[in-house]
This record gives sequence, C-alpha cells and structure tokens, in this order.
Amino acid sequence: MAQMSARMSPVSAPSLRGWRIPRLKGRRLTAYIILFAFSFLLILPFAWLISASLKSEADYFAVPTTWIPNPIMWQNYADVLNEYNMLTYIGNSLWLAVYSVVVNVFVSSLVAYGFARFRFRGRNILFVVLLATMMLPTQVTAISLYRTFRNLGWIGSFLPILVPRLFGSAFDIFLFRQYFLGLPREIDEAAKLDGCGAWRIYWNIILPQSAPILVVVSITTFLYSWRDLWNPLIYLSSEGTRTVPLGLLLFFVPGRGTLFPLLMAAAVIALIPPVVLYVVGQRYFDRGIVVAEVR
Amino acid sequence: MADMTMRSAAPLTWTTRLRCLFNNDTARGYAFITPWLVGFLLFGLTPMLLTFYNSFTDSTLFKTGEWIGFKNYERLFTKDPTFQIVLNNMALYVAVSIPLVIGLSLFFALLLREQFVGNRVFRTIIYVPSLLVGAASAVLFRQLFSGGQLGLINQLLGLVGIAPLNWLNDSDRLWLAMAALIATNVWFLGGTTIIFLAGLHAIPQDYYEAARIDGAGSWKLFTRITLPLLSPTLVFNTIMVIIGQLQAFDMPLIFARGMANGFSSGGSPLGYKNSLAMFLTYIYERAFVKSEMGYASAVAVLVFLLTLALALFVLFTARRFTYFGDQERATR
Repeated sequence: MAQMSARMSPVSAPSLRGWRIPRLKGRRLTAYIILFAFSFLLILPFAWLISASLKSEADYFAVPTTWIPNPIMWQNYADVLNEYNMLTYIGNSLWLAVYSVVVNVFVSSLVAYGFARFRFRGRNILFVVLLATMMLPTQVTAISLYRTFRNLGWIGSFLPILVPRLFGSAFDIFLFRQYFLGLPREIDEAAKLDGCGAWRIYWNIILPQSAPILVVVSITTFLYSWRDLWNPLIYLSSEGTRTVPLGLLLFFVPGRGTLFPLLMAAAVIALIPPVVLYVVGQRYFDRGIVVAEVR
Repeated sequence: MADMTMRSAAPLTWTTRLRCLFNNDTARGYAFITPWLVGFLLFGLTPMLLTFYNSFTDSTLFKTGEWIGFKNYERLFTKDPTFQIVLNNMALYVAVSIPLVIGLSLFFALLLREQFVGNRVFRTIIYVPSLLVGAASAVLFRQLFSGGQLGLINQLLGLVGIAPLNWLNDSDRLWLAMAALIATNVWFLGGTTIIFLAGLHAIPQDYYEAARIDGAGSWKLFTRITLPLLSPTLVFNTIMVIIGQLQAFDMPLIFARGMANGFSSGGSPLGYKNSLAMFLTYIYERAFVKSEMGYASAVAVLVFLLTLALALFVLFTARRFTYFGDQERATR
C-alpha cells in the first residue's frame, strides 16, 4: 500500500516551484477568480436542488427563485419515502449494488490474476478481445439478450441483471491486471517454492496487497450499478422491482400527479450514496486512481 | 512447461499424466479466466452476432423475422427522416461537446497544477459533481432548463438581459434542446480534469526549468513541453469522451420524459419533435417502444462500428501511453 501511494501520488506530490511565485502574483489572482466563479457555477444547481427539495409546492413555483424555503418542508422527505415507494426502490437499488460489488470484485480480480500471473497460449489475443469488449455499447448486445431472457421467462425479474454480473467486467479486469502486474513477483515465487497453490497465492498474497484497487473497483462498481438506468428500464417493469433511477424517470405520486418538491427530494436521496462513497474513498480517489472513473 | 514436468525417466502413470495436464500455467491460466471467457461467449459474442444477424431481418421484439437483406440499412439512410435528425443531433452534440469538455478540463487541470492555498478544495468541487451523473442529475437539470421565468438557467440569463428561452420545446429553434444537453456536460467534466491533472504531474519539472533557463516564455513552455508530453493523455481523454458522448442515454431520455404531460406515460423518448433524439434513445425507442428489433439492430450495428473505429484507435495508441497517473508500462 505504501508502495502504491508512492507510485500513484503525482497529484499531491510536492514540487519545486518556489521560483515561479514572484512572477505569478497577478496571474494567481486571476486563477483564484476563475476558480471561484467556476466552483460557484458547479455548486449552484446542487444548492438549488437541496433548496427545492425542502419547499412547499407554492414556494417551488415562486419567481424569482427563493433560496431559503419558507416554510422548510422536512415533511417532503417523509412523504417521498412513504407515499411514493421510494423505500422499496432504495432497497432494490441497494441490494443490486451490493451484490454487484461483491460478485464483480471477486470475479474480476480472479480473472485478472489469471491474465497477470500465468503465461498461456492465446493469452495476449484474449486480452485484446477483453479490451475490445470494453468499447462495446451495452445496447448492442442488450437488444438480442432481451429476447433470450424473454424466452427464458426472466423478464420482470432481477435475473437479467444479476446473471451477467457473475462473469466479471472487462474494465475492472483490466484495472486489476494493471495493478497486479505492478506487484512484486518475488513473494509469489517464494510462496510457490513453499508449496503454495495458485489459489492460495491469489487469496493470501495478491489480494491482501491490493487494498487500493479493491476499494476503487468496489466504489466504481457500486456507482455504476446504483445509477444504471438502462437495464432496470428494459427488464424491470413492475412497481415492486423498480430501482431508484427508474423511479426518478417514471416519478408519479399516486393520486397526486407530479409533485416537484417531492421529486427533488427523491433526487437528493439518490445522490447521497455517491457523495458518501466519495468521502469514504477520498484517500484513494485523490491519488490519481480516479482513472477508474472512465468506465 | 509441460515437458519440464514430464521429464522424469519412470514410465508415466495416468495420475501423473493427469497432473501434467492440469498442473501447468496454461491450465491454471485458463481456469482463472474461465468466468470471463464464459461470460464473453454467452453475454458478449453471441448476442452481438445475433444483433448483426437481426439487422438483416424484420424481427420484432417478440419473434424472429424474415431475412430482408440490406433493407434496414437502406431505410436508415434513405427513408428515415427521424434517423437524419438523430445523425444531425449526434454530430452537433459530439462536435460541440468534445472541444468544450476537453478544453475546459485541460484549462482547469492547468490551473490546479499550481500549488496554492485551497487547491484541494477546488479539486474536490470540480471532481465530485462528475460522480453525480445519472438519472438524479438529469431530473435536476431538466428543471433548471424549464422554459419561461421558472427555470433557473433562464433567470440567470435574465441577469445579463437575455429573454427566457424555451429550451426543450421551441418549435422554431429545436437546436436549443441539444444546446441544453451540451451545456450539462460542463458540470460533469471532473473525471476528465483529474486524468489531465495526473498527466500533467507526470511531466518532469526539470524540463520546465531547463527551458526557462534557455529563455522560453510560458506560451512556449505550454506548446513545446506541456502539450507534446501530455498528448497521450489528451488522446486517451478525447477518445473516452467521444465514446461517452456517443452513448449518452440517461440525460436525453429524462429530458424527453419531461416533455410529456406528467411523467407516468406518453411522450416520445426522443423529445419534442425528436429534438432530443440520440443514438441510444433512438435504439431504445425503435426496439422497446415500437418493437422494431431488426431495424433497431441495424442502428446498433452502426453505433457499434463507429465506436469500434475509435476503440481501434485507442488500441493503436495504447502502447505509447499509460494512464494510471504514472508511467508504468501497460504490457510486460
């Protein structure tokens, strides 16, 4: 891990730039102004969202926009959870995400270990195939898979989402492999001489050295599953199986139509897990491994 | 490898033979990659080939159709005005989004490269929104782009004297819907920025010092040192952004839903007068709303070929760049 942070910390590396500071006084001021303005622009919508989620219906439609809700409707959050089945959606989204993390981290790291530590005929070609599948839009396979799953009678159940996850994700396999290649082989070799089998090398030697990449892949897998709209949209139709993004797409409070403050409260709830995960994984994201995000 | 194990002089018993068969790198390697290999065959290759096949049929969502040759493709390019709109929308969207996202990300990465008080805070503010991309943000931005005085964007534009725009359903200026969609990219470029930042930090400082001693100005430093050394990252980011843009789905779909009266049903997933039609929302609409599987497959094949062309470009350049934030070789 220490070795990891040494390799992966260019972002926060100290640099010898004292010599530039005197010249940069004016420019630095401009930089601050630009950064402040841009940060303000970035934060504005999310500030508006939180404010809107706490407004009464009348307040929501006030022009110009009021920023401090009056009255503050904490009730909106309770309503969205109760009247609008948000609890069910959160439950569905959560367990799908946790399942995806557990299964994907395990399978992808296992496959990556195969690619990283064994020499076998066809390895390089298969790895290129793997890289190629990273670029394959889900939708290209999805329209055919839909019919297959339909023939199996799986539509409406979680199976079309659960089963494909069992086979790992190309991007995460790639990330794990890159990381494993950077681990010293000497320890594996020593363990092998001591009679340690391939499985135990993976489980007892490789994985314990891989905390940073395990965290990063866990977080990105969670986020990917949490915000996935496409799969739930085509496979899950009934109210009881909806996920949070699908709920947001089809938002409708029975008997009351679309209540915008409630919809905004639902959106805030949907955004909480990514923020929490960022805070938890910040240490790792900050080290330039954020590249995992490019999925 | 196998012959090494079988070198013993004693005649081989069948157990030894079996052990030889399974006790080598090839067998172990394949054992470990089997999950992916099976998944690739079942959920990657097979459905992909089926999609290719279906693109030459008039299949529906529920039954396999007749072979109709290139009719779907012919229809796509000659008899489908909606697809023409999709192509126009995509071209506009990609052509404006790429320079916008890449330019702004690079600009902010350059600013954040300097060491100054508050750097970390700004980095966090730029990065975190990119984690929030998805349906919830789409719902938020749809409200911000509401027409009339209600939308926050219109209120902000009002401050500089611009009359309220009807972003998502202006029949005279349909491109406004695309403009709104393009603008949302500004909030989600944090990931790209951080990759640029990692690329910038990988450039050795000595180069700058040496060049400065030789009297190079800051523009020269940027064009002669930063840009060339950053080019691998630049290529990588550009391609990832292009691929991401080609696959835009949540945002246009949710923007389009808002156009329906209420959110429960009705309304085209392609937006008002198809103004939000993108590749993937069009595939979705054809396959799952109109049940034209064969036709949707043809669109999917085109999107796939377009993406593949870019992917190959990545693979060709991949040898030159590594994007782990350090300079480790990808192949070993």
